[in-house]
Parts: sequence; structure tokens; C-alpha cells
Amino acid sequence: MTQGLEMRSVSKFYNAGSEKITALDRVSVKVEPGEFVAVVGPSGSGKTTFLSIAGALLKPSEGEVILNGQNIAALPDRQLSDIRLREIGFIMQASNLVPYLNVLDQLLVVKRMAGKVTSADKAFAVELLAELGLDKRMKNYPEELSGGEKQRVAIARSLMNDPGVILADEPTASLDTKRAHEVVSLIARAVRTRRKAAIMVTHDERLLSYCDKVYRMEDGKLSQMEPEPVRIS
Amino acid sequence: MFLALKEMRHSRTRFVMIGIILVLVSWLVFILSGLGNGLADLAASTFKNMAADYVVYQKGSKASMSKSLLSGELKADLLAMPSVEAASPMGIIMGSAVKESGDPEENKVDIALVGIEPGSFLEPAVTEGTGLDAGEPNFAIVNETMKNEGFGLGDTIILDGAPASLTIVGFVKNQTYNHVPSVFIPIETWRELAFAAPGSDKGLKDPVNAIMLQGKNIDPDAVSQRLPGTETVTRAQAIQGIAGYKEETGTIFMMLGFLFVISAFIVGVFFYVFTMQKSNQFGIMKAIGAKNGFLGKAVIAQVFVLSLISIAIGILLTFGTAAVLPKGMPFKLETNWVIAYSLVLLAIALLSSLVSVRTIVKIDPLKALGRVES
Repeated sequence: MTQGLEMRSVSKFYNAGSEKITALDRVSVKVEPGEFVAVVGPSGSGKTTFLSIAGALLKPSEGEVILNGQNIAALPDRQLSDIRLREIGFIMQASNLVPYLNVLDQLLVVKRMAGKVTSADKAFAVELLAELGLDKRMKNYPEELSGGEKQRVAIARSLMNDPGVILADEPTASLDTKRAHEVVSLIARAVRTRRKAAIMVTHDERLLSYCDKVYRMEDGKLSQMEPEPVRIS
Repeated sequence: MFLALKEMRHSRTRFVMIGIILVLVSWLVFILSGLGNGLADLAASTFKNMAADYVVYQKGSKASMSKSLLSGELKADLLAMPSVEAASPMGIIMGSAVKESGDPEENKVDIALVGIEPGSFLEPAVTEGTGLDAGEPNFAIVNETMKNEGFGLGDTIILDGAPASLTIVGFVKNQTYNHVPSVFIPIETWRELAFAAPGSDKGLKDPVNAIMLQGKNIDPDAVSQRLPGTETVTRAQAIQGIAGYKEETGTIFMMLGFLFVISAFIVGVFFYVFTMQKSNQFGIMKAIGAKNGFLGKAVIAQVFVLSLISIAIGILLTFGTAAVLPKGMPFKLETNWVIAYSLVLLAIALLSSLVSVRTIVKIDPLKALGRVES
């Protein structure tokens, strides 16, 4: 069984009036556990569609999406929601936390969605938060956190269910350079130590050095870019 | 429950505000129901507490005592009918009473003079004093609210505009008719008062307003057929026939109905708007794997908790109100009705929250991706 995420010749079409728009054009990509992949490209190039399909939020028109050996391209919505819950960790743009939950509960709610919260879950949440330097902020609400802290909570939340795949959608969109580096390096570290297959969609080319592979998305086509000169992160 | 309670604690102000509206609505519902009960009792408690199953009226009287006039001789015919276990005549006229005190400016009190056969099943049990006596035409047993007007055992009531006086020999409980206290007197005495004017009895022998029947298996249609010129109705229909009764209770029920509809919209609209405001948040939660059921349950739990607390406060306020209402106010809370209306309010709130649940189901988790929130 292949671990990680693989997309085989995935296309997505939209109908806009009489026109058929190709948002994704036969995209193939493979991300192994422990691998951190970046997808860059101008807006409108299909990055979000790509991430939505990879994240089981959208079904492809054609092609296969293989998550931990299972083709999820044609599963019904209810099962997709289960896949998202158990197999995928999302890190979204800033302020995607639930406003009325404190930092610890942001993580535990993921477990609640799946059923019960055990004391082991609680210990794991505390451990994750400590790892991300949030041990002092566990009882704080999102409104009391800085942008960088919020994103660190989001990283911890994405890891909470121990998913196979981590998907990050512009995780640094609202952060300054210093915080952006901090957040992406934390994602990179978690991906490697916890052996996750990770894809980050970003505009920010300064952050690509943290990634193992970089793909460029243009007009729905995905192509691998030449690796940048290696920099020690 | 987890999400629901956390959110309610976090957004206390908005939940408290909607809670206050619900408290006021439920408070009003309970007060109206209390008033409705009180009024209905005041209008008809003599009939409601009467040990009769069926009432025989004159045909065409539409189950109204004041419109009906029958001969008391029908009693014998009725008793001969199958399933009729007991029959006893009754007559009611409205009047006013003055306490005999020698003071010409003594207050008058409205009363309903109810003529019955002493000792019959129509005579209510006294809570104080003795019952009627067939040999004492001037004995009367009266509703205990007359005590508030200064009447006591042994007092003499002078009937305003009639050459008669009565002696209070006993008090009874919950006996009112047409919103005034009932005064039970022997039927012969009642006849003298009711038909004082010559010819007003239309030549009937022993005229009465109606004859009450006991017997669970009486067929009212058969009775009406066997005795031409009569119509037999159930006690419940007789209560409906009391002048103004339907109109009065109908008004209260209409107001209650409106309140239920209003509360449905208040809860429904509030949670709908609230859900719309949070659609992005719901989208994110769906993206990270929350099922519709998980989020829907949170909304329903909030509505449940909010309604339950509001209704409970409404009940407390209602009992508080009942305690400070003036004594003469027709207000009667019945636990059964309070429970029933609470359940109706709760059910309506929960039903109206389903609109929000539907909205949640429709929210696309894709909302979570690719947009920078403002």
C-alpha cells in the first residue's frame, strides 16, 4: 500500500455558461510521507482547486486521487468528511480558528468531531502545543493571540488527528517575513519528524527553501521547478 | 453540547438578549393561560364542577340556560329512559344581593341565583356550614368568595328588586357562573323569584331552565327524539353554550396562538441570522472534518438550553406575578397547563431551529479555502 498522497492525471472542469473552463488539466503529483512540497503560481492558476481536490473538499472531473492507497476521487460526501477528519490536516489562511474556543479546545474539538476525547488525546494536544511553543497560551482565545500564534495553533490542530497528509493554504498570507519564516519552518519540522506528506500552496517564494520539491501551477497545469540552490534552514 | 455551551459562554450578551425575549414571551404565555383559566372558571365553574353528564335544554336554546325554558315535569320522563341514572332540574337567574345591615348605602354584589333540588346531585358539598334543606325555602349556600364582600354564615341576603331574603347557611368552593358567585337556593324559591311577573313562565308547569342528567351511556340524540321540543347536550357543550364563554376563551387562545407563532419566528430568525454570520466558521469546521450532524447538534443544543432556561425563568416570574396579583383577579395557574405550554414552547423553538440546521447542511466546506477573511 502506498502511503502519502498521489494524484493521477486529475482534471477539473467547470461550466461557465456555454464555455467549459479547465481549472485543472491532467495534474499528476506524488507526495511521500516526510516530504514537503510547495505549489506556487499566480492567482487563478488553479492552486485552490488543486488543494481542494487533494483535501477531499472537491471531487475531480477525471483522474484518481490516491490517499494512503485508497482512491477517494468518487467517494460520497459523508465519507469524504470522514477522510478529511482522519487523514487530512488543514492549515488555512489566518484567523480560521473557532472564536469561542481556547487554544486547547481548538485541538480537542477535532477529537470531539470523531467521537470522544480521552485523556491520551488531551496529553497529545498539550504535547503538540508545547512543541509549537504555545504551552503558555493554552487557555487563551484566538482574539488574544498574534497572527503567528494563531497559525501555530492551526498547525497543531492539523496534526491533532495524526493524519497522513498535511495541506497548507497560503499559511503565511497575513504574516510578516519573520513570522512567515517561523511558521513555515515549524510546518517543515513537523512534516519531517512526524512523517507527513505535506503540500503547501503559497505566493511567497521566499519560503520555498523549506520545501523538498516546488511545483508551479499555471493555467491548470502543474510542472516541477528546478530545485533552488540548497540553503540550510 | 461542547460547542454549544462554549459558544454561549463566549457570546454571552447576544444569548442573554435573545433569552430575555424568550423569557418575556413565555412569561406572557403563562400569564395569559392563567388568566384564561381563571376567566373560564369564573364564567363556568358551577357547570365545570357539576356532577352531571348531560344537560337537557329547550330546543333552539343553543345550550344556553338563559334561553331555555322547560317544564320540571319532564324529569319523570327522563328518569324512565334507558341509561339515565339520575335527573334533576336547575334554573339560573342573575341578581344582585345586599347584606342586611340597615345601612341603605350597603354595597350590592352581583350573584347568580341557582335553583336546585335540595339534596340532589346538583347540590355541591359545603366547605363550611350546612347544606340546603327542602323544608327551609330561604336557606342558601353561597360561593366562598362572598366572604370577601363581607358575608358570613347566618347573614341575611336581601335580593335587590325582589321581595325576598335568604339566609346563608353554608359556603361552597369554586362555584361561579357568568363571572359572579353562585348562590344555591331550593328550586321552588328560585321559581318564585324567576317568574315573579305573571305569564313569564309561559304557562309551563314547574318551569326550570334545564334538567341535568347523570349516566355515562346516555344517547343524547335518543333523548332529544323521545322528548320533542328538547335538545340534550354533554356538559362540555353546555359550558360552551354559556353566554360569552366561547368568545372569552377564544380570544385568549388566539393570543396564545399568536405568541407561539411569534416565539417560533424569534428563535428561528435569530438562529438563522446567527448561522449565516458564522457560515465561514462552519465552512472551516466542515473542512477539517466536522459532519453536519455535529454542527447541527450544536445549534439544536443551544436552542434547547436557551429555551429551557428562558421558560424556567418565565415560570418563576409567572408564579411571582401570581403571588402579587390582587385577590379578586381571575388568575388560576394549573400545573398541567404550565407543563403543556412549556413543552409547546420548547417544541416550537426546536422546530424553528431546524431552519438553521438546514442552512448548515448547505454550507460548502470549500468556503474555508482560498479566501482571505476580512
